[in-house]
Amino acid sequence: MKPNVAEENLQTIRTLMERSAVYRRALAPVMIYCGVCGLAGGAVGDLGKFDSDRSFALVWTVTALVALGGSGWLMRRQALKDAEPFWSPPVRRIAQAVAPAFLVGGAIAGMLILEENETGPGAMSPVIGLWCVTFGCGVHAAGFFLPRGLRWFGWLFVLAGLALLVTGTGDFFPSNLSPQLLMAAIFGGLHLAYGVYLYFTEQKDSAV
Amino acid sequence: MKPDWFLQLDRAIHEKGRLAIMSSLAANASLSFTELRDTLGMTDGNLTTHIRTLQQEGYVAVAKSYQNRRPLTTCSLTPAGRQAFAGYIDLLEQIVRSSRGK
Repeated sequence: MKPNVAEENLQTIRTLMERSAVYRRALAPVMIYCGVCGLAGGAVGDLGKFDSDRSFALVWTVTALVALGGSGWLMRRQALKDAEPFWSPPVRRIAQAVAPAFLVGGAIAGMLILEENETGPGAMSPVIGLWCVTFGCGVHAAGFFLPRGLRWFGWLFVLAGLALLVTGTGDFFPSNLSPQLLMAAIFGGLHLAYGVYLYFTEQKDSAV
Repeated sequence: MKPDWFLQLDRAIHEKGRLAIMSSLAANASLSFTELRDTLGMTDGNLTTHIRTLQQEGYVAVAKSYQNRRPLTTCSLTPAGRQAFAGYIDLLEQIVRSSRGK
């Protein structure tokens, strides 16, 4: 073996280690927490009658920030418990993977908050559809560094978003459906369901 | 550069397929057989053969369990495997350093 082969082997090892490092920490608690945040956001928005474009976007921006901050705290807590670094290579790659899609979702929220026109609750379904699609794309991209089920979870959001985009602008969509409750059902409900599924399957796996 | 360094390289690890398995397992506490196969793009038979070799060397531990009533095979590096892998990398680095120092 020549020295350049040794160098190539080291490069191969580095690439493989980076590629195969999968993030597994605290997924069930994070999903359940995000689900509860989504349901709470929907309840606050619906009961508080935050129906204008701006207030709708504000409610969900705050909900997203609370969910994101809390998830980070849960992940950090588990990292400290396991004496592992929080900002590990898999976490960095997940952050890089979700950043473009989340930026687009954030920009849509920002435009709604800054927008002066008020279109009313009926026009919110395309926005919810776009949020679902961008969020799903981000989760799907991050899914390459997470257990395989996360990519399917991302697809669920993309399909739900597409369904809303297709039906939301036509006559199919019930105009009296609260956009707050729709957001709660999609974001809160899906996260909570997946979190509960992860909780029970992970428990079962570790028990064997 | 000492020519006998190459002879010191662990033959069980110094094979393309097994090196890939060891590298992937070194980056994770454990990986399922399916995850390993998908990450490395190996066939079931090829992966089984390599894992068996590494198991016989005492470098890889294989655990069989059930998840959602389906069999789940998980692989992980043993302490001896981690030590051997670290030693292998050290030796490769020494070879690279000595060739650069010429």
